[in-house]
Amino acid sequence: MTEHVKPKLEMADDNYLRVDRMRYEKNKICSNLAILAIVFNALFFVSIYKSDVGTWYYSMLIGASIVYNLLFMMIVFLISEGTKNYKVAYSWIAIVVGVLQFARLLIYPRMARAAQTQSTGEIVQVMKDPQYYRVVIYLALSGTCLIVSAVIGIRKHAALKKHLESVAEK
Amino acid sequence: MAQLSLQHIDKIYDNKVQAVYDFNIDVKDGEFIVLVGPSGCGKSTTLRMIAGLEDITNGKLLLDGKDITAAPPKDRDMAMVFQNYALYGHMTVYENMAFSLTLRKEDPNVIHKKVLAAAEILDLTSQLNKKPSQLSGGQRQRVAMGRSIVRSPKLFLFDEPLSNLDAKLRSSTRREILLLHKRLKATMLYVTHDQTEALTLADRIVCMSMGRVQQIGTPLELYDTPANLFVASFIGLPPMNFFPVLVSGDELYSPHFKVPMTPEQKELLSEYQGKHVTLGVRPENVAEGGTVPVTVNENENLGMNTLVHGHLSEGGADSRITCKFKGWCDYKKGDVVKVSFQKMHFFDQESGNRIVKA
Repeated sequence: MTEHVKPKLEMADDNYLRVDRMRYEKNKICSNLAILAIVFNALFFVSIYKSDVGTWYYSMLIGASIVYNLLFMMIVFLISEGTKNYKVAYSWIAIVVGVLQFARLLIYPRMARAAQTQSTGEIVQVMKDPQYYRVVIYLALSGTCLIVSAVIGIRKHAALKKHLESVAEK
Repeated sequence: MAQLSLQHIDKIYDNKVQAVYDFNIDVKDGEFIVLVGPSGCGKSTTLRMIAGLEDITNGKLLLDGKDITAAPPKDRDMAMVFQNYALYGHMTVYENMAFSLTLRKEDPNVIHKKVLAAAEILDLTSQLNKKPSQLSGGQRQRVAMGRSIVRSPKLFLFDEPLSNLDAKLRSSTRREILLLHKRLKATMLYVTHDQTEALTLADRIVCMSMGRVQQIGTPLELYDTPANLFVASFIGLPPMNFFPVLVSGDELYSPHFKVPMTPEQKELLSEYQGKHVTLGVRPENVAEGGTVPVTVNENENLGMNTLVHGHLSEGGADSRITCKFKGWCDYKKGDVVKVSFQKMHFFDQESGNRIVKA
């Protein structure tokens, strides 16, 4: 996780100790936020394809969506493990994936809400408003978790890096 | 730190097997007590009763004057180090050491300070981010000790902590435990079946056999004045030689030899004139040159010393003798060496107890 430096306990105030602890403690908050992003994405995933009407979802797009969701879970799991060990590169990846979650709002949910299909002789919406708001919330929460995790991870990494440099100088 | 008092402690299991009989000891503050004895003698059971891991059938256990006989382990303020380390494999050294304090919901900064201080004492600072599987046996045992130190308990309990280590590591870890005791000035109870550990570590040794305390004393007392045949044979390596002898006049007669008695020995054995006693001689108290003939069976050179295993003139089960001579010897099987006994111990043949001045 971090290189070893001899502790300077004699000069330890609370702030010093808080940062110094990071040398031995995992970055659990960032890791847990990433896992939470997977959970919200899973909720989105199981909610989005529910449809009582028509065959609107039966297109090439549904395959791509499933593949992306699988990739998403794998990548975010790796982000969770990486940020746990204060690796800043994973935080930057988390920002990208988080932003993509918001971008996804404009694809399936928006298209399904706008789409209409014929059911028992009537023209109906493929995705009704309650379902739309639910999937939007799940996706937005997933993206937010990733971005917050990334911001905390970057800040913690910077603080730890600075701390290690200052301890090494002394 | 802590004073511990065990008063008439018995342990009887549900199947009516009695593991410990009437155990009594007052452990002083900062004292290092070693419980030693062969496997199954009740030493670990005693330690587990002190820790609260076994119920005490009869008797009282007092810590700093407070009766903790029935107190649950968590309320006893004791830390135990086990033979198999009992570390969490998925946690780092730091997390293992911090674990008990985290459970108590102590301030993370305080935990951090305590863990780093303990790691510094045990020279584990550079290992804090490693998992137990990445450490050697000695380092793992130090982590187990560190986990105890961070708690600042009143009493440290060690249950054969060095048994899983190889000989070299055992020796170095033993020294570390001794240094730790000097540094912390803590009250420690240590269980082992290894008499070397007992002799080198203890302020006082409790020697046990078959659930009963055989002798409590300093290492020198147990070595120099063993209370009975068991202690005499258990303490000391190689073990003491025993011969049945007849006390007659100024001499001790055996079927294989006769040795003169000093005036002090004659006075000591005055009540045994015409009776048989057991003569005990430590191998290191057997010297080359004398009147007792020993036929060599085996010659073991250890560098500084030579162990000569042989038998007295006539042979037979009670004629085996081990001698520890200084320097390098090169006796062949069948050689006859004349030896003398430098220091002799006498035991009553019926009771097995040491014969002491009335």
